[in-house]
Amino acid sequence: MKFAIAVYSPPHAPASRRALRFAEAVLAGGHEIVRLFFYQDGVHNACNSIVAPQDEIDFAGEWVRFIASRQLDSVVCIAAALRRGVLNQEEAERHERTAACINPPWELSGLGQLHDAIQSADRLVCFGGH
Amino acid sequence: MSTLHLLAHSPFNDNRFSSCLPLLDDGDGLLLSGDAVHALQPGSAALQSLQQLPAGVAIYALQEDLLARGLSEYPERVSDIEYSVFVDLCIHYSSVNSWL
Amino acid sequence: MPKSLLVVSRQAPWSGLAAREALDLVLAGGAYDLPLGMLFLDDGVFQLQDNQQAAAVEQKNLSANLQALPLFGVEAIFVCSRSLQERGLPESSLSLPASVLDAPQIRQLFERYDQMITL
Repeated sequence: MKFAIAVYSPPHAPASRRALRFAEAVLAGGHEIVRLFFYQDGVHNACNSIVAPQDEIDFAGEWVRFIASRQLDSVVCIAAALRRGVLNQEEAERHERTAACINPPWELSGLGQLHDAIQSADRLVCFGGH
Repeated sequence: MSTLHLLAHSPFNDNRFSSCLPLLDDGDGLLLSGDAVHALQPGSAALQSLQQLPAGVAIYALQEDLLARGLSEYPERVSDIEYSVFVDLCIHYSSVNSWL
Repeated sequence: MPKSLLVVSRQAPWSGLAAREALDLVLAGGAYDLPLGMLFLDDGVFQLQDNQQAAAVEQKNLSANLQALPLFGVEAIFVCSRSLQERGLPESSLSLPASVLDAPQIRQLFERYDQMITL
């Protein structure tokens, strides 16, 4: 089965951790993830400047390792990201900001990518709120 | 078309729980995760509401959240599940509606 | 056949970005001619009230985006009757043409759509 997984909650929210563990379980179950899409406060999960305390799990780092090792398509909504200060190098230069905090494997793109994922997948599972 | 509804907020501090329950139909599933597992609190009105759901509504709770909160007593009709079963449930039901 | 999507909007208009971002999601899908519906539930019904002055809290008006829904092909707009009643809002106060549904009708609505997102 093909899954589209969307994350709407920020990195410290339990829902974001659940999304990661769910995504891992999807692949462990032999299924496919068509796309991971990060919207609303979920865009913060892509921030490469998060520094987890040493005695805590580095979830942002785990997302990156998971996405990179499984070569997953992971998209961050550009409109939601910009208004939250989550920019890649290109957008930082375009808007004359000093800090870029998104880099590959994360990709900035539009809401059309979420709709495209919903159309391609058999199931859409969303994580957000808490 | 059956729906798996996913709740993750406390039924006491938040109204997602009370808004969701009247909208569950026979054949639907309800998965409690995060603070929503507090709805299984013995003696609570939330637990009563769950028990009054039609028999055709299956109720699940994410095991890790029960353990984290020390919730070990819950009605027989509630199945505690791990992530692998969570994935299977998403396939079993036609769609998944998370109350974000 | 494209999959249909129901977006359920539950938040009040001036409680942050939820209302706006739910609308953006629907309009983006409408731009691709996808079969979409929108249900206003719980505090989401406050988005459809007239006489709101967004500028008073230095926000952009939502009404332009709401009025754009039919222009983007989104005419399936629904409102929960219980949510209106709980908030003392008469059906006549709605700023958009919408079908007002009770709980059994909303349950049927959920079954008609392939996917749902409740924001």
